[in-house]
Amino acid sequence: MGSVSIFQINAEKECTVDLVFTTERHNPEEGEEHLGKCSARVLFRNQKPRPVINITCTRLTEKNKRQQEDYLLYKQMEQLRNPLDVVNIPDSHGHVGPSLRPIWELAFLGSSYVMWEKTTQFLHYYMAQLSSVKQWKTNDGAIDFDYTVLLHEFSTQEIIPCRIHLVWSPGKPLKVKYHCQELQAPEEASGTEGGSAVAPTELSNF
Amino acid sequence: MKPLLGTLYLLGMLVPRGLGYDRFPARHRREVVDKTGSPWRSLETYSYDRYHPMEEIYQWMNQISEKYTEVVTQHFLGMTYETRPLYYLQISQPSNNPKKIIWMDCGIHAREWIAPAFCQWFVKEILQNYKDNSRIRGFLKNLDFYVLPVLNIDGYIYTWTTDRLWRKSRSSHNNGTCFGTDLNRNFNISWCSTGASQNCEDITFCGTGPASEPETQAVSSLIESQKENVVCFLTIHSYGQLILTPYGYTTNKSSNHEELIQVGQKAANALKAKHGTNYRVGASADILYTTSGSSKDWAHDIGIPFSYTVELRDNGTFGFILPETQIQATCEETMEAILSIVDDVYAKYWSSNSAGKVTSTAVVLSLLTSFTSLL
Repeated sequence: MGSVSIFQINAEKECTVDLVFTTERHNPEEGEEHLGKCSARVLFRNQKPRPVINITCTRLTEKNKRQQEDYLLYKQMEQLRNPLDVVNIPDSHGHVGPSLRPIWELAFLGSSYVMWEKTTQFLHYYMAQLSSVKQWKTNDGAIDFDYTVLLHEFSTQEIIPCRIHLVWSPGKPLKVKYHCQELQAPEEASGTEGGSAVAPTELSNF
Repeated sequence: MKPLLGTLYLLGMLVPRGLGYDRFPARHRREVVDKTGSPWRSLETYSYDRYHPMEEIYQWMNQISEKYTEVVTQHFLGMTYETRPLYYLQISQPSNNPKKIIWMDCGIHAREWIAPAFCQWFVKEILQNYKDNSRIRGFLKNLDFYVLPVLNIDGYIYTWTTDRLWRKSRSSHNNGTCFGTDLNRNFNISWCSTGASQNCEDITFCGTGPASEPETQAVSSLIESQKENVVCFLTIHSYGQLILTPYGYTTNKSSNHEELIQVGQKAANALKAKHGTNYRVGASADILYTTSGSSKDWAHDIGIPFSYTVELRDNGTFGFILPETQIQATCEETMEAILSIVDDVYAKYWSSNSAGKVTSTAVVLSLLTSFTSLL
């Protein structure tokens, strides 16, 4: 799958993790297995969250094709009947209905930004479930999506509910605002990049 | 007269079994009715690739012990906090050999549904194959399996009725304002020293004292009473794709650490060979996080040499809510891992152990050799 090397130079001050990994499509189409190759350096400073990430990838789907796919996805979502009565994706048995899949994936995209902001060298997050949809609007070529997820933090085993509001337009940076119900207060970040309103949607050399 | 009657009685017992007659009269069979009123389900149609509520698992255990009565016994282990019965299945090939025990429990954490699914799969595989499969038949000569399909029954039911992501038991604390103990922090081993909380509201609440919970006591009592015979203690969880060795409560290594890692790595390799799934192997304080009061640490420190926590699929994509479509593949690969561990445990105690067998084999070999040299 890939390799991981961890350097702790003065672990109190800095922890660097070097990663090599491959990527695959989140929802693989029949017969087409596109593997991107990435290497990344992740830096945690002073055991704080929101690590600094430098990442390089090759063999990703090319930009034009990605934009095309984003646009198609947007069109697909535009067709969706308003899913405001939707709760729990996946359901208890792990099923995600095909028509709800794009919602789940968009929820995951927003959650991954939230998780990046909260991750430290000790705290690792996963999206356990999309618990409810508060609002789903498509207008002006953008999806306005307000929802709650349950994040699972691995080392404490806690489940953390987060309310996330994202705005997604194909080809434009994702806008994310969120609030999580937490036991501890949020911390300063490891890096200085990004405010809470903007996160990268494309992988590129920083 | 009496000896003749005795012989006739024995024949009466043996012949029907030999001819495969069902030893239970139809009257008994009709009593096994689904309490929810749906048509009586037979084992032939039981779906091992679906998740089952506790009522169905109880029924399944009854049906298994009924159908495979020659090798399976259902034992009462104790009661849960909410006074439900805890049962384990003993799979034992009758013989005069002294037996050692392999213990496996699933579902100590309520939300880890793939674990009870695996325990049921495991039982099914052993029972459907023990007659024809020489590997399984081999270890059943000297090993009994004790399988507890759901340890945290109250919690498991709660994940079906109320909160899919509940983890703990359902014990009541602080005048009914706070619920649940993390049963895997409740065992009497360095209790509540690290990686656990004294606060009932927390998800790793260690309980009100070591082995304070009835579920913990039920398992501990049985294992304690049989500890000379238990050679392997396996406890199945999800998720993370890990084979964990002692310890969680300290980074010190267990006395047989190297051996445990070797056996664990071999199991991970066997697992990967099935569907390509990657598992990591290591001491839990090293590759996971510190924990105190865990069942695998407790088991090891009362003298059980092989003690593992296995964390099944996946790696976080679905986490606890693993799709049913993955149950079969998960169970198939995990089966390979468990069988690999059992092979190694068996080889350690019985390959060169039985003096009588070795002697006779040696005698035969030397006779053959001497005959050959005469030719």
